[in-house]
Formats: sequence, C-alpha cells, structure tokens
Amino acid sequence: MKIEDFSFDMDRREFVKKVLNGAIAGSLILVFPMDTVGVDSQMGISQSDLNLRLPEEIPGIKNNQYDIHRQKFAFVVDITRCIGCGSCCVADKREYNVPDGNYRTWVERYVKDFDDQIYVDCPNGGLDGYQKPRDDIQTGVRDTFFVPKLCNMCKEPPCVQVCPVGATFMTPDGFVLMDSQRCVGCAYCIQACPYSVRFLSPVTKTAEKCTWCYHRVRKGLLPACVEVCPTGARKFGSLNDENSEVYKILKGPGVLTVLKQSMGTLPALYYIGQRLEVV
Amino acid sequence: MLSKHAMRIILVVISVVAVSGVGLLVKAQLIPKSFGLYGAYRADAIDEEAQRVVRHGTNASCFGCHPYEAKTHLKGDHKTISCEFCHGTYSDHVKSGKKIADLPVKKGAEITTLCLRCHNTEIKARSTIVIKTVAMPDHLEQQKVKLTHNCNQCHNVHAPLKYINEAKKITGLMEEH
Repeated sequence: MKIEDFSFDMDRREFVKKVLNGAIAGSLILVFPMDTVGVDSQMGISQSDLNLRLPEEIPGIKNNQYDIHRQKFAFVVDITRCIGCGSCCVADKREYNVPDGNYRTWVERYVKDFDDQIYVDCPNGGLDGYQKPRDDIQTGVRDTFFVPKLCNMCKEPPCVQVCPVGATFMTPDGFVLMDSQRCVGCAYCIQACPYSVRFLSPVTKTAEKCTWCYHRVRKGLLPACVEVCPTGARKFGSLNDENSEVYKILKGPGVLTVLKQSMGTLPALYYIGQRLEVV
Repeated sequence: MLSKHAMRIILVVISVVAVSGVGLLVKAQLIPKSFGLYGAYRADAIDEEAQRVVRHGTNASCFGCHPYEAKTHLKGDHKTISCEFCHGTYSDHVKSGKKIADLPVKKGAEITTLCLRCHNTEIKARSTIVIKTVAMPDHLEQQKVKLTHNCNQCHNVHAPLKYINEAKKITGLMEEH
C-alpha cells in the first residue's frame, strides 16, 4: 500500500512539474523577441550599393557624424501641385512591404459642390490612382483636389503621451517612431492619433506608422514618397540647410497651414493651398 | 547570545533586504539598457529604425547602368518621374552591384492605364500648370488614329514628345492652330 501511495505522489509531482515546465516554456515563446516578420534583410539595397550608387539628397548627413540633437526637419505638402497619381502610395507600400489594407500614407480626393457640400473618397488609399471621376454627385462640382496624408510628426504627439510601455516616442531630432520590440499591441495610440495615421499590423501584431522614412533620412536620402513624387507636391528637407526648398518655403511669406491646428499637436507637416474643409 | 525577539527583528531586516535586492536585480534585468537615455523609451530603437533596409534608390542610381534610358528620360517632359514607380524597386533588381532579377516592363494596355493615372482630364483636380491632360477617346479621335491605339504608339513613354517633335522636324509641319 505504501509503495502504491508513494508512486501516486510521484506521478502527481511529475504531472505538476510537467505542467509548470510546459507553462513556463509556452510563456517564454511570448517573451522572447520575435523575428521581425516582413522585413527581410536580403530584400534591401546592400551597403556597397548604398555607398556607390546613391547620391546625397539631404546635404550634410552622408559620411558625417549624425548629431541627433542638432537636426531639424520639415515636410511640406503642396496641395495645388498634387495630381493624385498615387506614386507616393505605391512607393510607400514597396519600401515597407505594408500589408494589404493598411496604409502608412494615402491620398484623399475631395470634391466640393456649389452648396458647399464636401465629398471625400479614397479607394484603396490611392494605391491604384484615381482612374475615374466620381459619378455619384448630382449637383455641379465646384472644386476638386487631392490631399496626401501622412504622419504629422507632432511636436506634442498624443500617441506618445498615451503609450503605456514607452513603445512610441519622439526622438531628439523630431521624429515620432515606433519600437516594435516593446509594443504590446494595445492600440491605444491608434485611438489617440487625431490624423488616423497608425494601424495595427496584421503581420507583427504591433502598431505601425509613417516614419518619414527615418532610415532613408539618416542616410541622406529623401523619404520614398518624396523621391517618387513627379510634380514636387511632397517636399522634405533639413531646416539646418538654408538652401533647402522647405527652409525657403517656411521662411517665406506663403500661407502654410497644419491639420487640426485647434488640437494643439503642433505638426511639423505643413500644407500649401489647403482648403478650410480638409480635416 | 541574542534574545529571541532580537533574532526576529534581524530576520525581518535580512528578508526585507534580500527581497528588495532580488527585486532591484529583476528590475535591472527587465528594463532595457538604453531605456531613459533620451526619454521614457529605448534609445536603441532609434538606431534600429535607422538600420531598416532601404528598398528604393533614386533615378541617379538607375541611370548608372542605363545610360541610353537616362539620355532619353532626362531630356523629356517625364524627367521628374521616378523609374521605380513604373518598373519596381531598385532592391528587387540589384544586389551588391549585380543584377539579381529582371524588373517588369509595362506593355500594351497596361501602359495606357498607367498614363491615364495622371493624364486623365476627367479627374478635374489636376492643375494645368502642373500637367497636361487628355480625355479618352477624344484625344485619339482628334489625332485621327485608331481607337485601339495605346499611348506608347505615338508617345515615347520616357520622353512623351520625342517622336512627335522629331516627326514635326522631318515633315516641317508646325503645330496646327
């Protein structure tokens, strides 16, 4: 009888041990950092190509020590020049392998009729361009324009304020970035962003956002969307460089507006030719 | 020999020190190294983002190996258009200076679709200062060509007015009206 009792106890002990081991091992899978899915190091431009074949588009960065505390950048979108071709959307999707149905940047079409009624649409984020005019508007069309949207890089970012784990932050050089290793995917930042720029990636299950192509900027390259824009509607540059187009625009007398100014987010993304109705 | 009460107090003190020591160790283990360098976040994440792979090159990086296309492209009205928009990204094509795969070349009706992405008059938002637009098939009718024609049958896609200007030069015809 005694032996039987003993073996029974051992079995229970073994059972509890195994369950605990299993539980710990299982939870470790969640704790260990995942491979960054979707970003294949083989897919990018190699370092030798970067050095050889890429010109310097933002002066003073390539081959220089990057002083993170002294850099200042601005993004200007000229609505009057945007033709809604969607090159920027395509480039953005390709640069980051953005999962289908999510957009780091997109182009909206605004239509205004004579009763000041506003119609906004954005089929597939502008990825396929705008091939057809809207045919569901009965009244006469007064004004039509395209509005490219991307991260506003607020100086008072609401998304950073609400993040419970410090996974999103503002760098000393003014970029609002994501730390996908720390992100727990609570999506609080997605609710907080007044510009709806963030999304929860179905691949990494973490929040993602437009970074103004921080990885390109640090190599002295323009963001991919600026790079491919055929009309110069998107402009990016360093405010330390007095010859840059954005510096001249910001210094000049032209009217510049930001989106949702009343929210006090102080965006570093400025619009030229922005209509009052655009939100 | 210490009294029983003194032993109790010492035990309590030792256990408090031990527990807080373990707690601090665990905390130090859990907080990432660079956390708090610039603010309440992991400063290394900035460098990690900066290390992300670049997939788009520039037009200049394409022209390095394609001098003929460069010559045409840079002379034409399409010089501001990115090679990679129509042909695909640089990193899908070149790796360490070697070609790794062909990039697609658009053909036939695909070209017309691509042209009309920008040059469609029906989309009213396009500023005439920025771009010339045409209405289809009105443009084909006006130019007296078949309605089945694709844009690239008259226009060089890299320099849209190249053939047209050359033809005018040869025939001595001036712009009508």
